[in-house]
Amino acid sequence: MTRLKAIPRAHLIAGLCLVALLVYPVINPWQPYPQAVMLLAFLLAVQASSWNIISGYAGYISLGHSMFLGLGSYTVGIVAARWGVNPLWIAPLGGVTAVVVAVLIGSVVLRTRGHAFVIITIAMLLAAQILAVNFKSFTKGSDGITLDLPFWDRDFQNIPFYYAFLILMVLTVLFSAWIRRTKLGTGLVAIREDEGKAASIGVDTTRFKIVGYAASSFFIGVAGGVYAYYLTFINPVGSFAILGSVTIVLAALVGGRGTLYGPVIGAFIVQVVSEAATVYGGGGNARVLVFGLALMVVVLFLPKGILPTVQAWWRARHPEKVEYTDQAGALSRTRVAVRERTEPSPAPAQGEVLLDVRGVSKRFGGLTAVDNADLTVRQGTITALIGPNGSGKTTLFNLISGGMQADSGEIWFDGRRIDGLRPWTRGHLGLGRTFQVTRLFKEMTVQENVVAPLPDSRWRTMLSDAVHGHEAARARELLDTVGLGRFADQPAGALSYGQQKLVELAQVLMLEPKLILLDEPAGGVNPSLLGRLTEVIRELNRSGVTFLVVEHNIPLVLDLCDPVVVFSHGAPIAEGPPSRIRTDPVVLDAYLGDDWADHGEDGPGDNGHGTTAAAREAVQ
Amino acid sequence: MTQLVQAIVLGLLIGGVYALMASGLTLIFGVMRIINVAQGAFLILVAMITWWLWRVTGIDPILASVITTPLMFGFGWVAYRLLLSRIRGASPSMSVLLTFGFALVIEGVLNVTAGNKFKSATPSYFEESFRVGAISLPKAQVFGFVAAMVVLAALYYVLTRTWTGRAIRAATQNPSGAALVGVGAAGTAALAFAIGSATTGVGGSILSVLYPFFPASHYDWISRLLGIVVLGGMGSLPGALAGAGILGLAETLTATYGSLNWSTLVFYIVIMVVLLIRPQGLFGAKLREDTV
Repeated sequence: MTRLKAIPRAHLIAGLCLVALLVYPVINPWQPYPQAVMLLAFLLAVQASSWNIISGYAGYISLGHSMFLGLGSYTVGIVAARWGVNPLWIAPLGGVTAVVVAVLIGSVVLRTRGHAFVIITIAMLLAAQILAVNFKSFTKGSDGITLDLPFWDRDFQNIPFYYAFLILMVLTVLFSAWIRRTKLGTGLVAIREDEGKAASIGVDTTRFKIVGYAASSFFIGVAGGVYAYYLTFINPVGSFAILGSVTIVLAALVGGRGTLYGPVIGAFIVQVVSEAATVYGGGGNARVLVFGLALMVVVLFLPKGILPTVQAWWRARHPEKVEYTDQAGALSRTRVAVRERTEPSPAPAQGEVLLDVRGVSKRFGGLTAVDNADLTVRQGTITALIGPNGSGKTTLFNLISGGMQADSGEIWFDGRRIDGLRPWTRGHLGLGRTFQVTRLFKEMTVQENVVAPLPDSRWRTMLSDAVHGHEAARARELLDTVGLGRFADQPAGALSYGQQKLVELAQVLMLEPKLILLDEPAGGVNPSLLGRLTEVIRELNRSGVTFLVVEHNIPLVLDLCDPVVVFSHGAPIAEGPPSRIRTDPVVLDAYLGDDWADHGEDGPGDNGHGTTAAAREAVQ
Repeated sequence: MTQLVQAIVLGLLIGGVYALMASGLTLIFGVMRIINVAQGAFLILVAMITWWLWRVTGIDPILASVITTPLMFGFGWVAYRLLLSRIRGASPSMSVLLTFGFALVIEGVLNVTAGNKFKSATPSYFEESFRVGAISLPKAQVFGFVAAMVVLAALYYVLTRTWTGRAIRAATQNPSGAALVGVGAAGTAALAFAIGSATTGVGGSILSVLYPFFPASHYDWISRLLGIVVLGGMGSLPGALAGAGILGLAETLTATYGSLNWSTLVFYIVIMVVLLIRPQGLFGAKLREDTV
């Protein structure tokens, strides 16, 4: 009984429903009509659950997903008709075709961000229809292909199909659940939430999206093969129907896209409504109208879908205890350990150049944000980059991390030229960054946020478990380090700004970085946590991590960093140890102001640089 | 040789009409980042209205755009205010789904009211042609092309020479900046959506003469128009013009030298090839990938 209680409620309910569905034909065997409605609901659930992988998890909407059903049907139909094989045994071939086509389309369309994908999915569905009409030698054109009738007794007609589609549905849901648990799954959700940020933490967004698209096609292709046998007839218009795509989208949307069970729930609802519309509403015309209206109503009034809405309501009724940052834990001296990189490249010795920026420029229209800048960061240092707002510091960060491409110049990291590499490859090489305004994946939990980064490009890493196992344990450990272990299961969006900063640091550490670019780490962090933050940075630095820090909190910079580089108008104007920077007349003129020279060691009082009590303490 | 010239000229004539149809789509995308999947359904709706006007009053179908254009302007305005304005700030995918649902509703309504049969407006000049040397130019194509060019020129004038147009372009390039200088994003968006819809007033009227249509034809049209916009670079008006020209040519050349069956497929192949080489489309600016 206690073991039963350990299973989450949702899975328990799903299991009970599954038992009921398994038993149903046994109890009520001679009713082909309800069985037919049910098996079509299973088929729709297979499609909606699959669609959910690319369009729910990754957020890339496909409006042409019924194409894979048609591809599966045609593959199996053609092979079965040519070689006289039973379609049921070769149904997986349909899945293979679907995956091949998905990879081909995906590798063209999914290389960029944005809207081309949704458009191409509609176009490809129609293109497939045209192909099926015109490739007469294979497909018999508009006449379609007729398959043999099922080999079993007519009395059993629907029951074998009922179980075939039920099994496929269960497999699809298990597959979807497995993907969501892997780092592939967290990566896909990360892409939905913030694709640029995902790329910066080592998620190879192109590959993830293509794999996600392919994964979302396989079971539909298999189901297409079975479906062809069920219909015993396939033709271009029926197999590549856009209305089929509409039902898929609608089902997933109604149930709740991005959730595991939502698309299945939606499939049952949509199938029943669709059946009712056909029976009582006067055929296909009514269906188009009903589906169109339903789609609009759902988007306007129930955009999250039924399941998440119900869950939100439940959570509002049963609030959890509010928890606070583990100040004591955060301030305790848990050792900060950096995991050894799995493939250690010969690390440059202390003091050797780790990052070398040579003559890099970046222009936005007429504005030159970074102007022929040189910058070197030596192994083992905490290098500061300071300068007035708009002097090009963050742009330089973006150029180094790969968020933007430089117009000219070279960037070398750890002996490799990296300015042509994609952001995730730079992440895999050991280059991590945080953002000035935190960019966490707000709808993911804190733990998922920290698990999401990928330190390398291996498939094994991508498919490793993100919920249990060493990756999750590592994430927990890092969260404890920054004092936020208690928040592991909270949505990241619920955290305060300062807490988010700390989570972002933990996230970057997951990359096993050699160099971390920190963009204003102190902004918005409360004084006691700021103390902890500097401590964490120091400890990490001692264990071999190099830092490049942009920060306006000058006392903190002068205390923590050596050397300090001063930027102005897109290029460095001074570099040296803090003691020299503090008194450098050029720097005083461009940035610090004369106060600094007058006040000497203690720094200024309230001079508008946002100095906090803690930061001043930190200097002393 | 004559055949080639004939095919090229025809391709450009068709391309001009495509350009007009795609201009509204790209304008709406440019200003609002909304892909109006219902644009094809708008076209078919207008074609149906035009056909009906032509049957009842005998008005020339292309001239009927004088009526359908203001009608669609109002239709677009109301549609924006009632539907799309409600999901401002939601993720762009929601607008795709909303307009897709809208397209289905229009299709369903047309199915019920006008029936599920192919229609085509056939004015007196329907089967006549102008002859220039050895080349024959179908009158309907020429009239359609001229109407499309006039509207595109007017659109260009409005966008570049009037305050309204500058407001729309400002909102396209920098919504928050535009808001700062007094260009309200909401009003501009409604205006842009209305103008984008109004282009289907002329486009749909031309369509009713040049192509047989029925309610479900809108899928075919929207995927064609979206293809043009993707090819040209989303949000770019010159891009839509270039994309439409290229695809018009590709289509007629395939129809002339290959077969009519394959011409639509060539359309999609060209799009995929362009995306392979230039993912952002011909005139599309590469998006700034990082904005913090």
